[in-house]
Amino acid sequence: MPPFNNIYKPFRAKLTKVIEESPLIKTFVLRPDEEFAFKTGQFIELSVDGIGEAPFTPSSSPLVRDMLEVTVMKTGYMTGYMHDMKPGEYMGIRGPFGRGYPVERFFDKEVLILGGGCGFAPIRSLLYNLIAISDKLRKVTLCYGSKTPEDCIYKPYIAELRKTPKFEVLRSVDKADSNWNERVGVVTVLLDDVKVDISNSVAVVCGPPVMMKFGTLKLLEMGYPEHDIYLSMEKNMSCGLGKCGHCMMGEYFVCKDGPVFTYAEIKNQPNIWN
Amino acid sequence: MNIYYSIKRDSWENSLLRLSSSYIIYGVTGNGQSTDYDLISERNISSLVYNRPKPATPLKTFFLPVRENVTADTVKEVPRIIIGTPNCDIEALGILDEIYLDESFEDVFYRRRRESTIIISSDCLEIQEHCHCTAYNINPFSTGKADLAVILRHDDIILRAISEKGIELAEKSFNAVRSDDRTLASFVESRHHETVEILNRTGKGLPDYRTTGRLVKAAGESVWKRYSSKCVSCGACTTICPTCTCFLLIDKPGFHKVKQMDACQYPGFERVAGGEDSLGKLPSRFRNRYMCKYVWKPAKFHSTACTGCGRCIEACIGKINKNELFRELAK
Ligand SMILES: Cc1cc2nc3c(=O)[nH]c(=O)nc-3n(C[C@H](O)[C@H](O)[C@H](O)COP(=O)(O)OP(=O)(O)OC[C@H]3O[C@@H](n4cnc5c(N)ncnc54)[C@H](O)[C@@H]3O)c2cc1C
Ligand code: SF4
Ligand code: SF4
Ligand code: FES
Repeated sequence: MPPFNNIYKPFRAKLTKVIEESPLIKTFVLRPDEEFAFKTGQFIELSVDGIGEAPFTPSSSPLVRDMLEVTVMKTGYMTGYMHDMKPGEYMGIRGPFGRGYPVERFFDKEVLILGGGCGFAPIRSLLYNLIAISDKLRKVTLCYGSKTPEDCIYKPYIAELRKTPKFEVLRSVDKADSNWNERVGVVTVLLDDVKVDISNSVAVVCGPPVMMKFGTLKLLEMGYPEHDIYLSMEKNMSCGLGKCGHCMMGEYFVCKDGPVFTYAEIKNQPNIWN
Repeated sequence: MNIYYSIKRDSWENSLLRLSSSYIIYGVTGNGQSTDYDLISERNISSLVYNRPKPATPLKTFFLPVRENVTADTVKEVPRIIIGTPNCDIEALGILDEIYLDESFEDVFYRRRRESTIIISSDCLEIQEHCHCTAYNINPFSTGKADLAVILRHDDIILRAISEKGIELAEKSFNAVRSDDRTLASFVESRHHETVEILNRTGKGLPDYRTTGRLVKAAGESVWKRYSSKCVSCGACTTICPTCTCFLLIDKPGFHKVKQMDACQYPGFERVAGGEDSLGKLPSRFRNRYMCKYVWKPAKFHSTACTGCGRCIEACIGKINKNELFRELAK
């Protein structure tokens, strides 16, 4: 009899640390009971025992196998419970699921990354990956927007990134305070400041739906071909396995066929910006 | 393949009762218009009905229970025989298999149940008002996907073996006598033909199955608004549909998960954090079911997502008739 391989059963991971990134965003450091490997851009289904399960993209490096970080915005029921959790407690993990970023296709190119809000979580994982292969890349430009300076996450990480050769960071906030000396405005304003050789570049967009929409439109306007714009799509999800139907976006199961798609792949599907 | 066997009804029933020591046997029983699956024993074996149109319950519930704990470490594997399944429901297994036996994420509960179940199909020689399988290029009798089919003729049971496994069943489990002359074959074939004729007549005006997708895609907002105005989002149409298998995982203490049937017709099915819901409005939710069945699933899978069983029409408390909608689109 073949082994009883149960796709619905999570394995356990111990919460070892909780980092407060902003009033609404925390990073949870998890130590899985089993060795855990994922590709950057893939996601996991994370459970709070007896409460609920939701999809999150790890924000840590895909090169690290014994620890895993997820950065979570408090938005509702499950994430509300999660924000009250303390180190020492256990969570459940299923995954990794889906198709991540095809980093091999970024070789010898400039990578332009556009992120907003909690969209920075998967992007940080991608950045870790890109730093590890930076000798194969021309340049990486991160454009990151948040509502206010207080909502800017990963502050120490940004400072480090700014010192990394080939990496450039541009930031904007919708509403500045007196200490803010970077750009003000929605994140797409940063694209006006970017110097990039579009013919030799790919773009990555991750963030709230409105940002994804206007970000993509702007990139198209700048001349990016549709197949060089990578989007990380967010849909309601339950199984992560291409079965429950919740994440259907036209003929795609976002959980299995995505969540990373090129704009060319999905532009004709319904409700892509919700 | 079609190999014919014949067996007296009482020895067929005796064989089934003998098999019931090693199998749980379900069969279609009932009277009048309504038939459904029942656990078969000596008590009710004579009330098995044959060659009637689809039973009330779709076959999928034998493999995908409405609600079950899917974090268990075993699945109760009771060898089962199911008798009397019409071909529309057998064809519906195509898409279920594609989804649940998908090799990258195989559902072990589905796999084990599927493997421990023998399905004996029944050829439809009668139809119900809303049956329209032939409109979707599906025969009212099993062709490829079943092993064995049964036809009742007076006091004889005719077995039609469709696969090697079907031959083995007929010969070893039922000791049926193989008939190599054409009498049984031509009797059965002419009955098949008559049923198809009736279905073609009642299905008049329905669009060719190769054009349904295009018609659904092209239908304007006013069509969806008008037809959905009587929809109460009860989900009966998807629950009863042999090809709809959407579900929700519900968390229980101990990292357990209960897998429960869900429906795109329920509000909130696609709601994401922050409250956005692409199917929040009734007409778009209603249209989603049609797009899924006739446009998206056919693009993604090799099997049909609508077998024309007609159950969704019978189940709808808003009396929404999808065939009326299709006839209108086809005009
Ligand atoms: C691929 C992917 C990656 C993601 N990565 C991240 C990330 O890295 N960081 C991050 O912060 N967010 C991420 N998200 C978003 C995250 O999954 C949502 O914020 C999370 O699901 C919100 O859950 P909630 O229960 O707190 O929110 P709620 O608003 O309470 O619920 C959200 C969803 O759960 C359903 N739901 C709510 N209550 C119930 C109930 N009682 N029964 C059944 N269903 C219910 C709703 O229909 C809705 O679909 C990601 C999403 C996807 C699809
Ligand atoms: S959509 Fe209606 S007719 Fe088609 S298979 Fe489902 S229940 Fe039957
Ligand atoms: S059965 Fe009828 S009323 Fe109920 S959800 Fe389906 S179409 Fe709407
Ligand atoms: S989340 Fe279940 S099919 Fe994608």
